[in-house]
Amino acid sequence: MPPQPKTIIRKEDWERRLHDVPLTREDLNRLVMDYLVIEGYKTAAEEFSREAELSPAVDLESIESRMSIREALQRGDVGEAITRVNDLNPEILDTNPALYFRLQQQKLIEFIRQGRIPEALEFAQEELAPRGEENPEFLSELERTMALLAFESSPLAPPAIAELLSPGQRLKTASAVNAAILESFSQAKEAKLNGVLKLMSWGTSMLEEKASFPKLDVSEGTFN
Amino acid sequence: MSARQSRSASTPIPAARNIEQVIPMSFTMPPAPMVASRPRLISNTRPLTHSTSDRGMMSTSVGRTNIVNSPAGSFPPGSYSSIVARPIVGNNNANHPPFEPRIIRATTSPTTTTPSDPTCFPSSPPPRVRRQSSTSRHPSTLSTPVVNVRSVPPPTNVIPSTGNASSLSTSQAFPRPTYLDHSAFRDLIRTNVSTTVQSADPPLAHVPNTITTTYAPYPYMGRMTSPSMDSDEDSTSTTPPPVRISHASSSKDVWRGKANFPLPTRWSEMDRHTSLAISSDGRDLRFCGPSCTGDRESAAARANEPIPPACGIYYYEVEILHKGGKGHISIGFSSADVKLTRLPGWEKHSWGYHADDGWSFPGHKDGNPYGPTFDTGDIIGCGIDFSQNKAFYTKNGNFLGLVFENVGNDLEVYPSIGLRHAEEAVRANFGQAPFKFAIEDYVHCARDQVWSGIQSVPANWTVLGGGIAQPENSFEQKKAVDEDVESKEALKRLVFDYLAHHGYLKTAHAFKAQCERRSATQIIQPTETAEADDMDTDEGPSSPSPPITGEEQGLRTRVHIMKAVLGGDIDEALTQTQTHYPSVLEREQGLMLFKLRCRKFIELILEASDALKKAKSSDDNPSTGDVGNQEIVRGREATKKGRPVASEQDEEIDETQMDDGGAMEVDDPSPEAHSHSSNSPSLEVSSSVTATTDETTHMVALDVNPISRSSSSSSTRSSSKAVAKAALDEALRYGQILDGDYRPDTRPEIKNHLRRTFGVVAYTDPLAAGGEVAEMAGQESRNKLATELNQAILESQGKPTHPALEMLYRQTAACVAELGSQGVGAAAFADMSREFLDA
Repeated sequence: MPPQPKTIIRKEDWERRLHDVPLTREDLNRLVMDYLVIEGYKTAAEEFSREAELSPAVDLESIESRMSIREALQRGDVGEAITRVNDLNPEILDTNPALYFRLQQQKLIEFIRQGRIPEALEFAQEELAPRGEENPEFLSELERTMALLAFESSPLAPPAIAELLSPGQRLKTASAVNAAILESFSQAKEAKLNGVLKLMSWGTSMLEEKASFPKLDVSEGTFN
Repeated sequence: MSARQSRSASTPIPAARNIEQVIPMSFTMPPAPMVASRPRLISNTRPLTHSTSDRGMMSTSVGRTNIVNSPAGSFPPGSYSSIVARPIVGNNNANHPPFEPRIIRATTSPTTTTPSDPTCFPSSPPPRVRRQSSTSRHPSTLSTPVVNVRSVPPPTNVIPSTGNASSLSTSQAFPRPTYLDHSAFRDLIRTNVSTTVQSADPPLAHVPNTITTTYAPYPYMGRMTSPSMDSDEDSTSTTPPPVRISHASSSKDVWRGKANFPLPTRWSEMDRHTSLAISSDGRDLRFCGPSCTGDRESAAARANEPIPPACGIYYYEVEILHKGGKGHISIGFSSADVKLTRLPGWEKHSWGYHADDGWSFPGHKDGNPYGPTFDTGDIIGCGIDFSQNKAFYTKNGNFLGLVFENVGNDLEVYPSIGLRHAEEAVRANFGQAPFKFAIEDYVHCARDQVWSGIQSVPANWTVLGGGIAQPENSFEQKKAVDEDVESKEALKRLVFDYLAHHGYLKTAHAFKAQCERRSATQIIQPTETAEADDMDTDEGPSSPSPPITGEEQGLRTRVHIMKAVLGGDIDEALTQTQTHYPSVLEREQGLMLFKLRCRKFIELILEASDALKKAKSSDDNPSTGDVGNQEIVRGREATKKGRPVASEQDEEIDETQMDDGGAMEVDDPSPEAHSHSSNSPSLEVSSSVTATTDETTHMVALDVNPISRSSSSSSTRSSSKAVAKAALDEALRYGQILDGDYRPDTRPEIKNHLRRTFGVVAYTDPLAAGGEVAEMAGQESRNKLATELNQAILESQGKPTHPALEMLYRQTAACVAELGSQGVGAAAFADMSREFLDA
């Protein structure tokens, strides 16, 4: 097949299509509520259910324990997080070795961050090394983490190593735990709005190959 | 493919208004419109009258008409001609040879744009369509044939001479196969659309132009920053730039603009080799005539419609009715340009699975071993997964595996069958009957897989426009982390922006506080912040609110204004808007101001109506009620005339407000007051009116209280009456000014709105009036106005009129829809309303 010419979709046409998308304020409010609940913004969710006259899909109290775990992880208190997860539902970690390893890895990272090197080594040998033997993926993660010791807050550390110390790593772990908890309650793992973002990303790149159309800058809500 | 162009929704309607003018026959007779609507199928009109009574039998016994004279699955051996000669049961005029497609083509050519392509008219219009049109009398169904109609003999006289009449009359509508419910475009997929109406439409190339002309300024792109796409459109689209749309020449464009995606429902009468006979219901294919010899000779047929990739996965099944001597049967797909003298799979753009050896042929003669051979009685299923552009087959309900690449990729393909030898016969199931294979489960799984595939890829912030620039050499994993973080940050902004946009103030505050606390937790390690959380939700002066930034202040003002409108306090809204966003009131030559003032008038009327109710209820003397009614009558007359109310009333009001100079000034319905306005009415007027109303409102408030305390006393009675009267007078006076100010404005929008506004006056209780009046007076109208004012304020601040979050959703939905139109099958499995909106 010869390559098809790109369809050009004009602004007016596109605008009409945007307009025609069936979407109400209530739909959006529900998406926002879903986001607030899943992401654990309890107070905001409560306010929103009042201001938007919308009942949250879940018991808002359940957000609380989830959030305390998340906060523990985000401030680096992995031990606290593990205890709380087990309080909530011991099966979450029992049935999910990858998640448990991840939490242990995070704990190791926190030891290293705090410069508690002897404790880090001991922890790695006693808790993590046996797991690394079970699973090659765990092993390579363990190795990556141990490499932190070699660079020890040196700016020369390669990004793949240094990122373990970044807030993003904590966030990632926290999100994984959050998702696992939600899943154990058979709730969606992530906010629907996140899914919209991904679909948008997918759809835009797919359509770019086929058509020229007005693009949305998601951060600004403007077209360019 | 070009034939597909001939579809669009914009069929020119014939000039004649009256159906009777065009078609000289009574429309009370059902058959008549059928004839009228499709003259090219003259021969088919007669059987249509029988089709209704025949239908029941048709569904069970397929081909009791021309070709097949026995139930499905058992073709009796017999020559083509002998079958043909058999008269149609129940049809008086049934002595017509079944297949002369070329004749049909000749007669129909005037109505088609590209007669060269036989697929253009999925011809055999299912008669059900005609029936529909006869009852609905939709002009478009009648438009095509008008030219020919006068030459059409009345149906009773028709002796069909061409075409297989019964084949047309027995094609049955069937519901959309359930496996298609998994497509996001399910509601657009049709099995029973009037294919003829579509094919008779003008070329699709017109569609984009139509869209352009019907363009209404939707505000979504109000803030196009840099129109890189069409730089010449920068100037707010007052003059439409030259159309740069590629005209519908490729298959891509064919789907575009279609209101729906018709499914194949039968074998095409046109698009088949002449050696193949089609049964009355369009599902059976039978090889007639001398067997083919040599590789070059074969006979293929295609279905009446191409397969819409918007199905996501398409599937049909074929029962081998008779394998014949050698079983040279090929089942598969081909595009319209593939020769009908070749088996599907031998030629480029065709794909086939062959019965005799079980091989699959991907578009050339070098096939590959694929599945088992198949034989008489076997049911072969045949599908395309457009999310991967691969085909698959099933045999007797068993999946045989994916096969072929790039099937239907940027190419319209049709279900296609090829036969080579006498007695070979197959029967297709396009969804008319349950499928042997559990296609629904299969599609369900495929759907979930595609969807989770889409969802497993993190959002790419280069694509989404606002992301942080990725360092060139960043590791894959690092990138993933960053994108995750970036998505989270972006969503925070989007949600906050949304809450702020719509004025969910408390939620916004709570959200912001929690966000800040979290990011604080991340960087420092405070353990004691947890308690601070629930404090900062209130904007009240008592709670220690964070320092108020300009933006925060703006948000509060905006919310305050919105709430004022929602609560009916238009004066407050006007004053605040005037103070903080003066340009908003001047926009579009004072349109916003005008709307607010109209609302103000309605609020006054509502107040008057309230006061009157109170006066009535506090009254045990029925005569007072009469007075109230009289007032209303008077008011009504006054507004009907659109002129000042009786001067007596004015005097009374003026007495009560003698000290208010401003009020006097405004009340004067003199020519000056009128001439004041032209296109952008002065703000002074409105603010002085504001003053007046405040006064009145206060007065009402003061007087109302005693009423409730001692409603029986005659003094209260008269005072409540006075209040009601004053309120009404006040409202009417305001109405006069409003009318005076805007009467000279000739903008239709203004005139219409003014008319609707004054319509409210005619009712003592507008809210109970129902219809347009209640709509105009009710809360919904306040909501609408608040939203409009909110948008106007945001726009005046250089902010988008719609929250970015909403745009994100709309943009995504538009992208997915366009992908579906462009033939990207995976889009069919990105079902936004199901994934995101359903509870």
